[in-house]
Amino acid sequence: MKISMNWIREYVDLPSELTIEKMAYDLTMATVEVEGWEDIASQFDKITVGLVLKLEKHPNADKLTLCQVDIGGEVKEIVCGGTNLREGMKVAVSQPGAMVRWHGEGDLVEIKKSKVRGVESFGMICASSEIGLFELFPYSDAEGEATIVDLSAFDVIAGTNVAVALGLDDVILEVDNKSLTNRPDLWGHYGIARELSAFYGVPMKEIDPVEPPSAPALEITLEDPKKSPRYIGVKIEGLSVKPSPFYVQSRLWSVGIRPINAIVDITNYVMLATGQPTHAFDSDKISGHITVRRAAQGEKLLLLDDKELTLTPDDLVIADNEGAVGLAGVMGGKRDSVLPETNKVILEIANFAAIGIRRTASRYDARTDAAARFEKGIDPQRADNALVLSLAMFAEMYPDMKITGYNDNYPMPFEREKVNVSLNWLENRLGKRLPNDEIQKTLELLGFGVAFDGDTMFAVAPSWRSTGDISIPDDIMEELARMHGYENFEAAPITTSFTKAINQRDADTDRNIREYLAFRCGMSEVFTYPWLKDDVIAAILGGTGESLSLYALSAPPAPDEKYLRPSLLPNLCKAVAGNARYFSEFAIFESAQVFLPGEFVSEYDEREALPIQRRHIAGAFVGGADAVDTLFRKAKGVLEALPRLTHIEPITFIKNDKTFTQNDKADKSTTGRLWRPHWADETVWLNINSDAENIGTLALLSKKAALACGIKNHAVMLFELSLDALRPLASRTNKFAHLPAFPISDYDISLLFDESTKWQDITAAIKKGDLIRSISYVGEYRGKQIPQGKKSVTIRLQIGSPEKTLNSSEIENCANAVIKRLSKQLAAEIRDK
Amino acid sequence: MKEKLEAILKNGTEKISASVTLTALQEIKAALIGKTGEITEILKQVPKLDPTIRPEIGRAANQIKQQLTALIESRTEEIQLKASEISTDFDFTVPGILPPAGGLHPITQMCYDLNDAFRSMGFEIFQESDISSELYCFDNLNFPPEHPARENMDTYWLAGHDTGTGGGRLCLRPHLTGASVRYMQTHKPPYRFVYPGRCYRNESTDARHERAFFQYEALIVDTDFKFASGMIMIKTILSKVFGRDVPIRMRVGFFPFVEPGFEIDMGCLVCDQKGCSVCKQVGWIEVMPGGSPHPNVLRAANLDPAQYTGFYVNIGLDRLVMMRYGIDDVRLLRSGDLRFLEQFV
Repeated sequence: MKISMNWIREYVDLPSELTIEKMAYDLTMATVEVEGWEDIASQFDKITVGLVLKLEKHPNADKLTLCQVDIGGEVKEIVCGGTNLREGMKVAVSQPGAMVRWHGEGDLVEIKKSKVRGVESFGMICASSEIGLFELFPYSDAEGEATIVDLSAFDVIAGTNVAVALGLDDVILEVDNKSLTNRPDLWGHYGIARELSAFYGVPMKEIDPVEPPSAPALEITLEDPKKSPRYIGVKIEGLSVKPSPFYVQSRLWSVGIRPINAIVDITNYVMLATGQPTHAFDSDKISGHITVRRAAQGEKLLLLDDKELTLTPDDLVIADNEGAVGLAGVMGGKRDSVLPETNKVILEIANFAAIGIRRTASRYDARTDAAARFEKGIDPQRADNALVLSLAMFAEMYPDMKITGYNDNYPMPFEREKVNVSLNWLENRLGKRLPNDEIQKTLELLGFGVAFDGDTMFAVAPSWRSTGDISIPDDIMEELARMHGYENFEAAPITTSFTKAINQRDADTDRNIREYLAFRCGMSEVFTYPWLKDDVIAAILGGTGESLSLYALSAPPAPDEKYLRPSLLPNLCKAVAGNARYFSEFAIFESAQVFLPGEFVSEYDEREALPIQRRHIAGAFVGGADAVDTLFRKAKGVLEALPRLTHIEPITFIKNDKTFTQNDKADKSTTGRLWRPHWADETVWLNINSDAENIGTLALLSKKAALACGIKNHAVMLFELSLDALRPLASRTNKFAHLPAFPISDYDISLLFDESTKWQDITAAIKKGDLIRSISYVGEYRGKQIPQGKKSVTIRLQIGSPEKTLNSSEIENCANAVIKRLSKQLAAEIRDK
Repeated sequence: MKEKLEAILKNGTEKISASVTLTALQEIKAALIGKTGEITEILKQVPKLDPTIRPEIGRAANQIKQQLTALIESRTEEIQLKASEISTDFDFTVPGILPPAGGLHPITQMCYDLNDAFRSMGFEIFQESDISSELYCFDNLNFPPEHPARENMDTYWLAGHDTGTGGGRLCLRPHLTGASVRYMQTHKPPYRFVYPGRCYRNESTDARHERAFFQYEALIVDTDFKFASGMIMIKTILSKVFGRDVPIRMRVGFFPFVEPGFEIDMGCLVCDQKGCSVCKQVGWIEVMPGGSPHPNVLRAANLDPAQYTGFYVNIGLDRLVMMRYGIDDVRLLRSGDLRFLEQFV
């Protein structure tokens, strides 16, 4: 909202030493955010009133004139192409250094002394569009492109700055509308002036009430006084449609409102002054009397802006005997609008309840200045100010006007809000005791009534703050704190008493796992969106959002992005595809929430029904297409070490080739589906369990799914785990073991096995025993020396006795026994033979 | 013979002192006093010598052997203590072998920094689910029934669950504040807790606007709390994020769930509050809202507002992360692009 400081000064005498910076700062700290201000006069620097003394033809150009112009004490020659120039005319002269807009278009440019067709010209005589005044001095194209501003009507001498001459030497504040949301009393200059008067303890120039006009009663019916608490109607005759005086036009212009005609300008002026919207409609077009009522279902209304509405009973309308003529508090109708021939109006100064205005305004996309004010709540008392100001302006502009009808229908007197505040409570919240007289003075400056009785203060809010803004003791506390100055309260230390240390295993587990994956396992954490594109749903999850019963957004970011993820993998695969363009090897993970179909419950409130939401963690190891073995071992290793390094209960890998049944502790939605996920390669996949519960999968992304995601030349090993299903340990469970008393030796053996032999078979056959302390996998080899269908597996045994140092033949014997067992049970052959 | 011994001693001494590696010294040792060393060979010959010179030569040879042994020992020590056995051509400019790459998302990093700071002050960490309801996002938070944020245009409502009211009308949460009531309903006062998380708002995206964003909110509720002490929570956040004390100010602000409510500004660090384009010449940048919980919010959490009060602060981590690193496009944070993420490990 734009606020004119000249306008403000009409209502309050601000301290002379108050700078605009200080005032903007004070308002920002304690009332509303001032986003900036603009000194209008600065736009008119070096633009002055000139008096045209003499006109001569330009020697070298038919359409140009040489003007001798008195610019205040000296006469200069200026070349001009204006067609309406005449001797004795007052014009706006842009002297060298002034900034103007050539022909009203493009950027501002600086005026310089220059030769125009061979003749030196001192600056420029301007058209209104060139100095930003087109709306105040409009001209039509028919009058030619260079119609010069005629300032002859202004009683100023040559040399006067144009801003001063036009009364535009004003500073305009830009106030953030959002910060005004809860202060409907500030939606007008009078309200801001009242706030400043309280700040600086300077008197208001009140708008004094006047006797209501004595005129025959105008019939006005309020169907529901709760929705329309007050309606003042004034029938005024003897009017005509004409421009309003320049001071009214320039005021409106300076705060961004286009002047239209005197009648409309009065209503706009009154609204900007008092914050009370008013409306004038042509009384000749009104048949019968005025009623404020709910619209009938399907009732039609043609608005001022030619929009035809079909109304609902939720809308409040102004109606006459024929039907709706306006949308109450939002916009007037076409039928009774002020037209050039209008000579009598009914002036409406009404109050409508905030509830409903917003709904109606947004239903018909009619976000008007009036609706913006009414929807925040306006006190009915304010209509008095608007009435006084309106009548004064009509009388000034139409000295012969007559008031031929009047009614102030105000059935239920407005109650000011009463709030009782405990002074001890106040001191506790503020952190300091404000003396009663300071409290009283501060609140009275703001318009409150104040009385004390012991610990209790009785505060009565002014009518303009009784619209919901002030209703509880906390509101009074805020008034006192902001007027006292928020900077003047010191931050008391936050004290605490300890009963026990914070122990939050869930939060710790999430963090431990992320840090483990990032710092130990070399994975990069990514963030992706919770919504999925339809194509990745099909590629990764196999199906459609609908067939998978996924949750959808009613107004999604894009039509093909409406479903919410039940798994982190689709968007993780998208991130893999994006990075695969730049990297040959990488590993990424995400930890976030997923949304699963199922029952709707809430653990917080029985009135609430939330879907199943789980925290998942998913990762991708990406490498060349031939790196499947390595990627698998990397990913599996990360998961194998995860429980120990992040302090959770163990997890196990199984491969379940069946479908889920109701008994599997999995989501209901999975019942009947394969344990192997849709996206997984048919061979390289494992289920991850915690106890008997399936909590995730580790698998190679199938070629088909990879291609569908746009991943062509990379192998992608994926895992996904339910973080909620991981059970953090209460404490570390590592167990100390004594260091070996006797040496333990490494002993490597390489044997040939059938390709079908699994490592698990080998370890099972070897069995750890007294002397075999551990069995580990060194590697596999396939090559020229190895027969087809076989692989060479190198196994490392750690051999040692807890009782003595073994000699080399005892170690050999132990190893040979292993080889023998493997030969017998798994048909292993010694490679070198 | 004696001359020969003198020559061996002289030659050996020179070789020993010229040796620089232990390996070379071992070779010298072997050549002099090893099994077939020069001195050893002479000592082997001693018994065969003329008895008149035998004792003298024998003594001299043994003496020289001892001398050389001592020299080798001391040289060994010298080499071990001082010298490098490594060639001076060693290339110390080759890059090191790095630990595994990888790292946390810059938002997670900042979130953990703040968690650590708040935990040190006795705050718990709470997590709410992403899908919440009108009951928790609006009703409990004193949003009037007609508040625009309840409309479809601002909030991501769930299809099929968007027509009811209250607990049956579901959405991706547009802010975190609803989580505060969940925590208070399930814990005993006094409260001090933080609840970071992802939030979502229906708006068009550009370099400065995102549909998904990450908020960090902290709440303290107690029986004896001065509103101005909220400054301590604000300072904690900002000094942690920027690594130094940052000037702050609290000014009036309006949000339905707080009374009084504040806009909190920090001094512009770009210009040290002298005024620049970043702070629009005012020296202050709006960074977060805050304020005391509105009595209606406390009532929703089953607390008596006459007894309890407190302070909320809420900050958008996306914007802070952007300020911390000079990132100019918020959308990069959710791009999953490693070329971007690797810059912040």
